[in-house]
This record gives sequence, C-alpha cells and structure tokens, in this order.
Amino acid sequence: MSDRPASQQRATHWMVGAYVMGALLHLGQVPLWVIVLACSGAAWALAAAHGRARLPGRIFKVSLTVALTGTVLAMFHTLNGLNAGSALLVLMGAIKLLEATTRRDRLIVVGVAFYLLLAACLASQELLRAPLYLLQAWVCCTALLYAAHPDAPLPSRLAGRISARSLGFALPLALLLFALFPRLSGSFWSLGAANQAQTGLSDTMSPGSISELSNSTDPVFRAWFAGPVPPPQQRYWRGPVLHDFDGYSWTRTNGDNFHSEALMYLGQAYHYQIRLEPDSGPWWPALDTVQSVDARGTRITADRQLQAFRPAHDAVTYFAVSYTTTVSADTLSRIARQFDTHVVTGRNPRSQALARHMRASAPDVPAYINSVVALFRDGHFEYTLTPPLLDLDSVDDFLFNTRRGFCGHFASAFALLMRAGGVPARVVTGYQGGEWNPIGGYLLIRRSDAHAWVEVWEDGRGWVRVDPTAVVAPERLRRGILDLLPSAGSVPERLLHDFSWLQQGHQAWDALNAWWGTQVVAYNYSSQLRVLESLGFGSPGWQQLGWLLAGALTLWLLIISWQFGRVGPARGPDRLARAYLRLCARLARCGPPRQPHQGPLAYAATLGGSSEPAAQARELLHLYAQLRYGSDTPSAAQLREFERRVSRWRAPRPRARASRET
Amino acid sequence: MRAFMQRRMAAWIRRRQGVDVLPVTLQRRRLYILPTRAGVAFGVLLLLMLIAGLNYANSLALLVTFLLAGLALVAMHSCHRNLLGLTVAELSSADSFAGEHAELRLRLANSRAQLRPGIEIDGAGIAAVAGTAPANGEVVVSLRMAAPRRGLLPIGRLRIMSTWPFGLFRAWTWLHLAHSVTVYPRPAGQRPMPMAAGANRGTAPRESGDIDEWATLRAFRDGDSPRQVAWKAYARGAPLLVKEYTASGSAERLFDFATLAGLDTEQRLSQLARWIVNCASDGEGFGVRLPQQLIELDQGMVHRQRCLRALALFGSESARQ
Repeated sequence: MSDRPASQQRATHWMVGAYVMGALLHLGQVPLWVIVLACSGAAWALAAAHGRARLPGRIFKVSLTVALTGTVLAMFHTLNGLNAGSALLVLMGAIKLLEATTRRDRLIVVGVAFYLLLAACLASQELLRAPLYLLQAWVCCTALLYAAHPDAPLPSRLAGRISARSLGFALPLALLLFALFPRLSGSFWSLGAANQAQTGLSDTMSPGSISELSNSTDPVFRAWFAGPVPPPQQRYWRGPVLHDFDGYSWTRTNGDNFHSEALMYLGQAYHYQIRLEPDSGPWWPALDTVQSVDARGTRITADRQLQAFRPAHDAVTYFAVSYTTTVSADTLSRIARQFDTHVVTGRNPRSQALARHMRASAPDVPAYINSVVALFRDGHFEYTLTPPLLDLDSVDDFLFNTRRGFCGHFASAFALLMRAGGVPARVVTGYQGGEWNPIGGYLLIRRSDAHAWVEVWEDGRGWVRVDPTAVVAPERLRRGILDLLPSAGSVPERLLHDFSWLQQGHQAWDALNAWWGTQVVAYNYSSQLRVLESLGFGSPGWQQLGWLLAGALTLWLLIISWQFGRVGPARGPDRLARAYLRLCARLARCGPPRQPHQGPLAYAATLGGSSEPAAQARELLHLYAQLRYGSDTPSAAQLREFERRVSRWRAPRPRARASRET
Repeated sequence: MRAFMQRRMAAWIRRRQGVDVLPVTLQRRRLYILPTRAGVAFGVLLLLMLIAGLNYANSLALLVTFLLAGLALVAMHSCHRNLLGLTVAELSSADSFAGEHAELRLRLANSRAQLRPGIEIDGAGIAAVAGTAPANGEVVVSLRMAAPRRGLLPIGRLRIMSTWPFGLFRAWTWLHLAHSVTVYPRPAGQRPMPMAAGANRGTAPRESGDIDEWATLRAFRDGDSPRQVAWKAYARGAPLLVKEYTASGSAERLFDFATLAGLDTEQRLSQLARWIVNCASDGEGFGVRLPQQLIELDQGMVHRQRCLRALALFGSESARQ
C-alpha cells in the first residue's frame, strides 16, 4: 500500500481531514468518547494509507457497527434526536473510513462530512462558529474534488484554489436563495427538545428563601425601538404577575377568570422588536403596558402579560407596541378585588396590624399609599443582594427585624401592606432598565436586570405601578446594579465596567452578535415579506417571492455562464511582440516579408542593403532578440525606447527615387 | 431495449454532427452534459439538507444547503468549460496484429491560459484514459484499442469526456473520425519456412542436420522447428536457443499463399505473417505471393509493413484497388 501514488494519498488525506473536522464541529454536542473514537479511526486510516497499518477485516467492522449502535441507543434511548443522530453519524463515518479505499467509498465519507456540517448548523448557529462552517465547506469541497479524481496529479494548493473559487461563485447564489427561497412557517416534524433548564422568568417568588441573588450578566433579550426609546425610569419589562401570597411565597394563579379592564393608552406609543435568547420559558417580556403584539402562538393575558402557548427553546423575535402611561376608568370586578386583597389570616400578624392602623389614619387610598411609601423611604431599609434568610412570616421578619433586602423583599412587603389595608395589589416580576448599545442601537437586558414591583388598584386610575425599591434605592433605576453595589458582579464584569474601551469593544461584539441573531439566524417568511415590502412590492406574498427568486436566479445563471462560457482566446501578443510585429509589417511593405519560420535574427540576415534604414532595421531586430531572449526581463523604459524607435523608423523610398531617375 | 435506444441515439448523434475532420475544436453545439451517479447522490443529499433546514427553520443549515447547491451549478459550468474550446489536433495510429491492441495517439491542444485536467477518452473497445492538457499547451493521449480481427479496423466514435472538477457532472462529446487502423493477421502456424526462392514449392521440412553449417544461435521464437533447437545448449542450462544456418541466412525466400495446402485462408495468412515477422527480424530478404498479388523480393521494415498490409487487406475491397 505504501507504493500508492502521491495523488491517491492526497485524496485520503483530504478525506480524513474533512471527516475529522466534521466530527470536531460536534465537540460538546456528542459524548467525548465518540470524538476520541472518530480521531482514532482517522489515525488508523491515515496509517493504513502510508502502509504502516492494515485495515481491519469485515467481521471486526460489522461487530463494531453493531456494538456502537447499541451503545448510542443505550446512552440516548433513541436514534432520532439531534445529538444521538450526530453521534451515530460520526461513528458510522469512522467505520466507513476504515474501508474507504475505492473512489465510491471516499465519496461516501465526504458525503458524511457534508452531513456532519449540516448537523453542526442545526446544533448551533453562533456567529463565532460561522467561519468554521465556511472553512469546513471548503475542506469538504476540496476533499470531494480529490475523491472524484484520485489520480489527478494536482497539488493541494491548486485544488484548494479551485474549490475556493467555486465556492466564491456559489456564494452570491447562496445569499440570493437565502433571502428569497420561500420558507415554511411550520415544520414537518420536530426533534425532541433538549432537556435544558429553563432560565427565564419564574412564576413564583420567595424572597425570604434567597440569601444571595444570582447576579449573572448573561443577556436575556434585546429590544430595538422604531422611534423614541423610553427614558430609563420607564423601562419596566413586564413578566409574570403574581397574585397568590401564602405569607412566604408569591405564586401566579391562573388569572383567566379575571376579565380584562378596559384601558386608555396615553402619550407616546413605543414600537419595538424584541429578540429573546433561547430557553426563555413561556413568559415573554414586553414593555409595560403592552397594547398589541405580533408574534405567533402568544396572547396577552387579562393582567397584561405576554404569554406563549409553548415555552421557546430557540431564540424568538417578536414585535410589540406599548404605552408607558395608561388609565382605566373601568371598575375592578368583584372576584378580582377579592383575589387581590386576599391575605392569609394569622400569617405576618404584625404587618397586617400595622397596615390596618395606617389605613385607618389615612383619609383615602392615595394617602394610604403615600404613607406606606414614606414608611419605606424613612424606615432605614437597606438595599442589598445578600440579604439574611427570613423566617416563615417573611414580611414581619423583614419589616421589623432585618430591614435588608432586594426588590423582591420590598415588593412582597409593600403588596402585603396594601392588601391588609384593603387595597387590591399584585406583584409584577420582570426586568427593569437595560443597557443602551450605541453601536447596534438597541437595549440589552441582562439577567441582573431582573426586578419586582407592585401594582395597586386605584378607582378612576386603574392599576398604578408602585416600585418600593425605587424609593429605597433610587439609584437602582437610573444606574446599573454595578454602580450601586461595586462588589456585585464577577471580576471580568467589573473590568468591563471600569474600562470604557473594553466596554466599547464588548458592545461592538454584542451588536454584531445581535445583528447576526436578528438578521441571519431569525430570518424567516415574515422577514422575507418585509424585504419585499421595502423593495416596493405592494402586498407581497408567495407569488412575488417566486417571481423575484426566478429573476434573480436567471440573472446569476446568466452571469455565471457568461463568466464560464467565454472561450477566451489565447493571450494575445504582449507589448514587445506588438512593436516587433509592427516593425515586421512595415519592413514587409518595402522589402521581403518575414517568413513564418524566420526568427528576428534570421530575418535580419535577409535584409540586404547598406542604406541607413536597412542598418537601423537590422539593429532593431537584434535589439528585439536581445530584449526577448536576453537574460533580464526588459524594463518599462527599455520597452518604451524600443517602441519609440520602431515608430520612428522610416522606410527607404527606392521606388520614389527610381521614378525620379527615369 | 436499452441497447436499441443507445443505437438510435448514436445514429442520431452521428447524423447530427457528421463526420469530423481533424483538427476539431469542441463547440457548444456538440457538447453534452448530464449529472453523474455521484451527482445524483449529491442532489439527494442537498434535498435532504433542504428539508431539514426548512423544517427546523434553521437559517445556517439553509445557507449551507444553498451554498452547496450553488457549488453544484458552478461545477456544471466548470465541467462544460473544461471541454469547451479544446482542440483535437491530430490522431495517429500504428498498425497492429490481430489479438493485440492497436495504439492510437490523440493530440489535444489547449489554447486557453488555464489547465484542463481530467480529460478522459474512450470508445468502443478502447479503455478510458485520462489526461491533463496544460495551459497554452498540448498533450498526447495514448489509447489502446482492442484489435480482434485482421483487416481495416475503423475507429468508430471516440468519446471525449470530463467530470472535472467535482465529479458531479459529466460533459462529453462524440468524435466521428473516418480513420482506420490496419490490423495484420495474427502470426501463427507451425509450418516450416520455405527454403529458397522459387526452388521449393514443396512442403518438405528443411533437412539440415549437419552441425557444421550453423553459424550462430538466436532466441527461440514460436514457429521454429524443434529440430533447429540447440538442445545440447538447453541441457547445459542455457535458454531455448535456435541454430542459425549460414547457408539459409543469405537465401531469399518466396512465401506463397498457394503452397499452404490444408489450411483455410485465415490460417494461411497467419502462417505467412509468422514467416514474414521471423524473416524480417532476422534481416533476411523475402517475397510474398498472394493469389492476385505478387510482392517482389526485398527486405527492410517498409517491405515488411507492405507485405503485412497486403495480408491484412487480403480479400477486402481496398486490396483490389
């Protein structure tokens, strides 16, 4: 086997390279032992190609196939899922590699490498990986070229250039098809969703059980505004609304038995697009208060949450319209009032007593609310992310004992005081604030922006937002958590915060990622329709998309066939040769023409005569030979000089002279 | 059915293109292109990728799929372009014996500044051979055509094809050349060589047991009489050698078709061919008499070719002209 021609070995090298790279793209998706096996198989195949090892026999391969399939099945309990399928594909590719000695086998392995690339795309669409995918496409193409022509005596550089050039020509078509090929809005079937932890908003809140709030700066969503951006104090992103309080935990009850109060939307309307990170759960944040939303499979509940029917595993994008000021002249339904003033008797007795006392001394509901707000403002409360744990009567413990907490503590205590005073109140969780990214022009909301506040019902005004945290720590609203609590956040986060250029670089990268996520990864049928609309199509649909696609495809084909169909003539004579041919043509007019077999020196020898022009012509022909065949390539100045002398050359006029003599 | 279709197709293409006179530059009109089996498989792979990408609404998967679809289309154009404008400049062939392979040499000229790799040529009875035409250069491709029978062997149609660059498409053209290869009869037969010109019309084996007459030894060839073999030398471990006789070395022989009684025509021609080949390689002079043709005594390679061609064409139209 070692006497195989070098081109065959090159074919094997590229095939193994394409396969190994395809397997490595699944690092982290499939178990590590699968990758290790893939690399071992590749090493074996390479050793065999160099005659250092023998390929295994048929029985070994068959039993290996059965054993590995069984192992994958035992590990994943299915062969259908994406990870199980990828693992199986990698393993079967390794086995195929061990018998890939014919042209057909090599083609199959390259096909496996192509499909591994596709599976990698399905598994992850991160921007960082996109160049890797492109590189892998190139490697696969070069491997395909060698697999198809194992005997072609072609250096790797040339083969690589050919496949790069082909991909370069294919890229415009790929972009065209990407933009215009009609997308499905549903799916034929679905892979089993990965069992990943939901990291979105929870629909329970027990501030007393948390001693250290996670302060991750992972992004949760990004919001692009068409038009003005709400001021920082108005940036409340509404999540689950919690109605049920057992004295310790707030939970969300199914609020469907409430009817929605009629709202009047006042002031500025904010139109915006939200891009939610993957695995965000069923509660999709929206700017408070949301009026309408353009997203499939969602609804706006009676308590103004945006709820998806199904938790989102992938990143989602939706459009919404919100108003930060609303008024409701409606009355609260009896059942809702009962629900939102409910307190568990016997739990948090001191707080309830305090509330009753304060309510009795306040003339009306607004005055009562103000007095409770004043209690929070003047009661020496401290905002902290590392509060002490609370006992079962959490509000009593917090109000009269610890007095240290974060938004959840304040909201929980405030809402209980309201309810105990007979004012309907509910806790709203969500996010507050967001970092403005000037490069991408969007608001980035991180996990550390999670927040909780209270809504109380005032007749004639409707639900009014009260944020007790803002009273205790007003800075929390205007500045980020890192400004407020310098010890919060990890070291890299603080570094980012302290050095503005680092932050700018970080923002630029985030903007690029956001662009990738919204414009490329999230590109779908409605994006296509928007593109058509911006191109000036009235009411775009499938037909317009099809026509545009057909037109663009035709254009590309025309360009490509023009590019490839040109039967370019052989390169014409160069500058020096053109001057030489001019000279020959002029010599032919007054003397013997140059014969095809004559070189410049031979032709010079045939030019007789002692006249000045003849001598000059001979000199020029010798000069041409020297420039053309001399050891140095002629410089531009020499070329110019030669051309000048050729054009200056004047033919003798023997005929004219002869006529004068006669 | 399939063979019938192929025959009809071949006849149609023949009518459509006519007979080619070299040099031929391959133009669009005569270039055909279809996906190969690997190309069809690639298409199926693309379809699966498209379905997966659409189903999961995965933009990157779709982008990869479209990129590869574009690649396939570019490959189609590259493949076509690899043959477009190629010039088949010249065909030369050497005569051969029946049962051997005739060698055809096809000179391809590439007037373009780019390499044309992976150009394959085959035909009826011609195994595919690949070549690479260098940029602004020429390549000579040697083909071996099976020559089963004596006579004039028409080349038939040659197929010039290419699956360059990715093996997804095959472009090809048919070349109909009015060119034939002369196939000599296969040298065969055990009859002893006639002794001298005109003298021996009989079939008696040459009796020359006299050991003193031989002058030199040469390697054994098929058709040599066992009596001439130097058995003693062979017994000493030397290869099979044949004694050459000075007496017969200078003799000029006439190989007569009519003397080979008891053999049919082809066997007679084979026997004559064997004698001619053996005689010519020894540098001896000989003549050949066929029923309607006499080739005078002579020697040398040209004479040998003339005699063998006469045998090859014996009984055919062109022999009589």
